Amino acid sequence: MINQAAVTTSQRKKKGLLQRAAQNLKDSKLLWIMLIPGLLVLVLFKIAPIFGIAIAFQNYSPFLGVFKSEWVGFKNFQTFLSDPYALTLIKNTVLLAFWTLIFSFPIPVVFALFLNEVKSKVIKTGVQTVSFFPYFISTAVAVSILISFVSPSEGLINILLLHMGIKPIFFMSTPGWFIPLYVILSVWQTFGYNAIVYLAAITGIDTTLYEAADMDGAGRWKQMFYVTLPSIKNMIVTMFILNMGSILSVDINKVLMMYNPSIYSTADVLQTYVYRMAFATNGFPDYSLGAAVGLFQSVFAFILVFATNQVSKKFSESAIF
Amino acid sequence: MKKKSTAFDYVNTILLILLALVCIYPFLNILCVSLSDGKAVMAGKVYIWPADANIYAYKYILSSPRLGVLQALWNSVWYTGVGTVVAVFVTFMSAYVLSRKRFKASKVIMTLFLITYVFEAGLIPNYIINRSLGLVNNPLIMILPPAINTFYLIISKSFLNEIPESIEEAAFIDGANDFQIFSKIFFPISKPSIATIALFYAVTRWNDFLNPLIYLQNDALKPLQLILYSFCISTDRTGSMLENVMVNGVMIMHSNIADAMIFLTIIPIVIAYPFAQKYFTKGILVGSVKE
Repeated sequence: MINQAAVTTSQRKKKGLLQRAAQNLKDSKLLWIMLIPGLLVLVLFKIAPIFGIAIAFQNYSPFLGVFKSEWVGFKNFQTFLSDPYALTLIKNTVLLAFWTLIFSFPIPVVFALFLNEVKSKVIKTGVQTVSFFPYFISTAVAVSILISFVSPSEGLINILLLHMGIKPIFFMSTPGWFIPLYVILSVWQTFGYNAIVYLAAITGIDTTLYEAADMDGAGRWKQMFYVTLPSIKNMIVTMFILNMGSILSVDINKVLMMYNPSIYSTADVLQTYVYRMAFATNGFPDYSLGAAVGLFQSVFAFILVFATNQVSKKFSESAIF
Repeated sequence: MKKKSTAFDYVNTILLILLALVCIYPFLNILCVSLSDGKAVMAGKVYIWPADANIYAYKYILSSPRLGVLQALWNSVWYTGVGTVVAVFVTFMSAYVLSRKRFKASKVIMTLFLITYVFEAGLIPNYIINRSLGLVNNPLIMILPPAINTFYLIISKSFLNEIPESIEEAAFIDGANDFQIFSKIFFPISKPSIATIALFYAVTRWNDFLNPLIYLQNDALKPLQLILYSFCISTDRTGSMLENVMVNGVMIMHSNIADAMIFLTIIPIVIAYPFAQKYFTKGILVGSVKE
């Protein structure tokens, strides 16, 4: 048995890389077969669409297909960026992402800090469990509930306003309300879910740190600020970077469901414009222009993530690349 | 931290409980309105308990062919059930292969998964590909493309990497092949990990809105989320209005109907949540901390 192994090893050393690869293929044939479904998904649905981005540089016609459509270089990008509406879209996208970030990032941290201070385990777990729930309902449900609550005729908010003698507010058709409503909904749905990671990190903090602070005369507030918060600083930065991409891309589902033509001035973002270009036009869909705008948005978001990564490298030890 | 309670504690606890109520009250209100009499709702009588309770709203939405709720309910169940089984199977089996040290190609393949995770192609390129594969207006759009979520693949792979190699070696010596080792040994002992990703996939599939919106134009294929959108949210020409309805002399207002639809759409989540909650919590921690 040992002699056979020795012979095979020296035989393998004589073979080249290609032959070793072929040998490997033969040995792990069953593994490769087991990987086929996964590989198909990878190739067909993750890699192939990336090549589909090429249509942003074409004048794509569905009849001619990708290979036969005319190439037009950056013309689609020029068309888009010279349209004055592009500025509105970019402004809306950035503002929406910015306000979402400002609120939905710190709130889970603050929530975790204060929840941690609660003495009763029952209340602590109870609040955490309940706060976690809105994350699992769909955007359609969340927006339906929002619409139900802010309805001018039957919604709870307007009924309360009526009792106070205030005229009903048409929340969903007032441009100024879009961003606040969007941010409130985002925070409501995600703060409990995002707080979990911080709560877990806080339970890992060495209790002797608190004892030492106590002996130095630090009260509850000081302890929270000078012990708890710094101890989870790295976790905060990591979470910030990990979520940067999704925060800056804006949730197209939410915007699609919350907007309507009367509030396009504040609500229409790059992603929803892309959607309308391809799937909701009155005329012929312009896939090329839509793909170009989509690509523009992806690159824009990526640059922001990269910049954030560089900035965070300077401030702490955490970064993803 | 184990001292007596101060004013800070009382205020803090009360505020947090109020916050928790804000998270749960909207659902309670929806449930109450859906079970109440329309006129009482209009009069602002329904806050935390139904007024003149009845289940006519539910009966109506489940029996009205115009609303298509029953068909949509069945569609959602089908997409979620089949979609989850397929996704769990493909994801976990792929994670198994990619976690085997003797599988030399795993580094390259994982890198490809990661690249496509960070840099997604976008709505329209995906549409072009899916259309050329014949997936428009095809129920398979809910099953095949989302079969692997890279994040869950990574979680599964991390979990499988932790399992000691000795188990595998012992099985090989006993003459088992890769597939047998996977199905008879690794799959059964990975039940918690599988349960976690199964739950995540199920929730994602049940809640999916954008894919059906783009690809499922055929009314008979639409899931519950889309019906909800069509009747409760959309105000343009693609939506329909909910009208007030008279049934057996009882007036069902459109808020009753809307809220009944909403609650129907979240029933599975409400029921599964108490059991699933701990799996979700653990899953998030593993995912965020490990990678």
